Amino acid sequence: MSTGSNDTPALLDVSDVSKSFGAVQVLRSVSLQVGRGEVVAVIGPSGSGKTTLLRCVNFLESYDSGSIRIDGKEVGFRETGTRQRRGERDLAAMRAETGMVFQSFNLFPHLTAAGNIMLGLRKVRGKSEAEARSIAEHWLGRVGLAHKADSLPAELSGGQQQRVGIARAVAMEPKILLLDEITSALDPELVGEVLAVVRSLAEDGMTMLMVTHEMAFARDASSRIVFMADGCVNAVGPPKEILAAETTNERLRTFLARFRASHF
Amino acid sequence: MGYALNFNLIWRHFDKLWGGLLLSLELAVISIAIGLVLAVWYVSAGRAVRAAIAAYVEFIRNVPLILLVYLVFYGLPTVIDLAYSAQTSFILTLSVYSGAYLVEVFRSGLEAVPRGQLDAGKAIGLTPWQRLLHVRLPTMLRITLPALSNTFISLFKDTSIASVISVPELTYGAQWINFNTFRIVEVYLITTAMYLLTGYALLFVLRLIERQFRTAR
Amino acid sequence: MLTQIAYALPFLAQGFALTLWVSLLVVVLSLIAGVLLGVGLVYGPAPLRWAVRIFSDTIRGIPILVLMFFVYYGLPAIGLHLPSFWAAVLALTLFKTAQVVEYLRGAVGSIPKGQSEAAMAIGLTFRQRLAYVIFPQAFRRFLPPWINGVTDAVKGSALVSLLGITDLMQAINQVIGRTYEAMPLYILGAVIYFAVNYALSLASRRLERRFSFIRE
Repeated sequence: MSTGSNDTPALLDVSDVSKSFGAVQVLRSVSLQVGRGEVVAVIGPSGSGKTTLLRCVNFLESYDSGSIRIDGKEVGFRETGTRQRRGERDLAAMRAETGMVFQSFNLFPHLTAAGNIMLGLRKVRGKSEAEARSIAEHWLGRVGLAHKADSLPAELSGGQQQRVGIARAVAMEPKILLLDEITSALDPELVGEVLAVVRSLAEDGMTMLMVTHEMAFARDASSRIVFMADGCVNAVGPPKEILAAETTNERLRTFLARFRASHF
Repeated sequence: MGYALNFNLIWRHFDKLWGGLLLSLELAVISIAIGLVLAVWYVSAGRAVRAAIAAYVEFIRNVPLILLVYLVFYGLPTVIDLAYSAQTSFILTLSVYSGAYLVEVFRSGLEAVPRGQLDAGKAIGLTPWQRLLHVRLPTMLRITLPALSNTFISLFKDTSIASVISVPELTYGAQWINFNTFRIVEVYLITTAMYLLTGYALLFVLRLIERQFRTAR
Repeated sequence: MLTQIAYALPFLAQGFALTLWVSLLVVVLSLIAGVLLGVGLVYGPAPLRWAVRIFSDTIRGIPILVLMFFVYYGLPAIGLHLPSFWAAVLALTLFKTAQVVEYLRGAVGSIPKGQSEAAMAIGLTFRQRLAYVIFPQAFRRFLPPWINGVTDAVKGSALVSLLGITDLMQAINQVIGRTYEAMPLYILGAVIYFAVNYALSLASRRLERRFSFIRE
C-alpha cells in the first residue's frame, strides 16, 4: 500500500471501492492513494470509470462498497458500525474540504466572476464581504483574470470561464483539487492558458487528482499516472513508465496508440 | 352534504355528450385543416404580405376567443350581407384563430430547418419554390409535429367556446343536461372525464404518428 | 353611432375596470398557490408530487369553460355558496395555478444539473444551494413565460361574462343590446383587450432578452 515518497499516510486513500449503476458495474474494487502535494493523473478509455471515481471522492456519486478517506476521515459514510450515509451538514462540510473543477465549467451564471468565488467564501467559510472580495481578487489575479472580476460568465470565453472555475475551487483552500477533464470542452487554442494555471498551482504544492486526456500535460505535470480500464486500475506508475512506447501492457498500448498518432 | 350521486339521468342523455364530443372533434379537425392552409400560405408568401399577416397573428393571439366568436357570429352579418349558421360561423372563427397559432409554429419550425439542408438544395440547383416544397416543408413538418399535436389538442379544448352560440358540441351538451336534470356534479364529472380521456387518446395517437415520421427518412 | 358609443364609454370603462380587477386577483392568487404547489412538485415527498401532478394535468386537460361551469354550478350543489364573482375567480385561479405549476417545473427543470453539483462541490448545504444558486436562476427563467401567461388570465376573464358578471365583455354585450352597434363595439373591445395583452407580451419578450444570459 504505497504512498507518495514518505511514510506519512496518504491525503486521499481510496480503498477497494466498487460501484454499480443498476446492472452495470462501473467501479471494481478500485484502490488508489494520493499523497500531500502529489499530482496524480487518471487516464483511460471512456467508460473506464475514471470520472465516476473522481465524483465519488467528493461524494457527488455514492459508492457501494469500500472506503474513501481524506486525511483519515471517511468521505461519504459515518464512522459508526453500520454503513450509514453522512447527514446533509456533514457532507457539505466534507465537500468544502475538496475542490472540483468541471468539464463544463458550471459557473453560476447570475453571479460575476468575483461573485462565483465569493459565494463559498461567504456562506461556507463565513468570511465577511470585504474579506471574501479581497480573496476572490487575489485568486482571480493568480489565474490572470483580475480585470474580469465584475464580468458575468456569459461575457467570458471558455478558457476564461474555466480559469474562474479553478479560482472558485482553489479559493476555498481545499485539501485536494479534483479536476474532471477540465479542458475537454475547450477550443484547442484556449487549452494552454488553463493548463498553465494548473501547472503553476501544482508547483505551489496543491494536491491534485485529475482525469485528463491531455497526455503531454499528464506527462509533464504529474508525479504518477493511473491507467484505468473497465472499472479497474490497470496500471500505476511514474509518467516515464506508463507513457513509454515499449510498454508490455496490451491494453495500455492500444489506448496510447490512439494518442500517439495525433499528439506525441 | 345532502347530495347523492345519481348517474342514471346522465346515461339516459348520454347521446348529447357523445354527439357533442364527436362534433367537437369534427370542429377541431376542420379548423386546423383550414388553419394549416392559411399558415402554409403565410410561410410561402412575400415580404409585404408577411407584415400584414404578422399583424393579424399578433392581434388574434391577444384577444379572447369568445369575443372573436361573438364578433363573427353577431357582428359580421350586420356589415356583410352574409348569413351563416352558428356552426359555420364557429368553424370560420376557429380556423382563423388556429391559423394564427399555426403561423407561429411554422415560423419557428422553418427557422429550425438546418442550414445545411437548404445549402444542399441550392447546391443541386433547386429553385426557391422547389426548395420550399421538397426540402423546407417536409423537414419542417417533422420538426413541428410535436407542436402541431399540442396545438390540435388545444383547439379541441377551445371548441367548448362554441357552446356560447349554441353549437351542440360537448360542453353545450353538458350544460343542456345540467339545466334539464340538475345533476350538475355528475354531468361535469363525466364531461371532464370525456375531455381528459379524449385528450390522452389524441396525445397517444399523435405521439405514434410522430414516431413514424422520425423513423421514416 | 359615435355619440351612442360615447355615451356608453363610462359603462364600458366600468366593465374594463372589473376585467382588470378579476385578472389581477387571478394572477396574484394563482402565483401564490402555484409557487407553493410547484415547490411541492419539485422538492416534496412522492405522495405530494403525485397529487400535484394529477391536479395540474387534470385542470390543464379540460377547457377553462368546463372548469368554470363545474365550479360555478357545482359548488352550490355540494353546499358551498359563493357569490358568483368569487366562484368565477376561483375557477380561473385554479386554471392559472396549474399553469404556474408548469412554469415553475419548467424553470427549475431547465437548470443544468451541473449547477447543483458545482454548488455541492463548494460545500453549500441543500438550503444554501436552493437559496443562492437554484432560486436566482429559476426566478429569471420563470418570469418571462409567466408574464406572457398573464395574457391568458386577461383573456380567460372574458368568460366570466357568461356567469352574469359585468366585465368588459359583458358590458360590450349589453351596450350592443341597447344600441345594436355590434361591429364597432366588438372591434373596440378587441382593441382594448389587444392593447393590454400586447403590452404584457412585449414586456415578457423584453425580459426574456434581458435574462438570456442566464441560459448560457
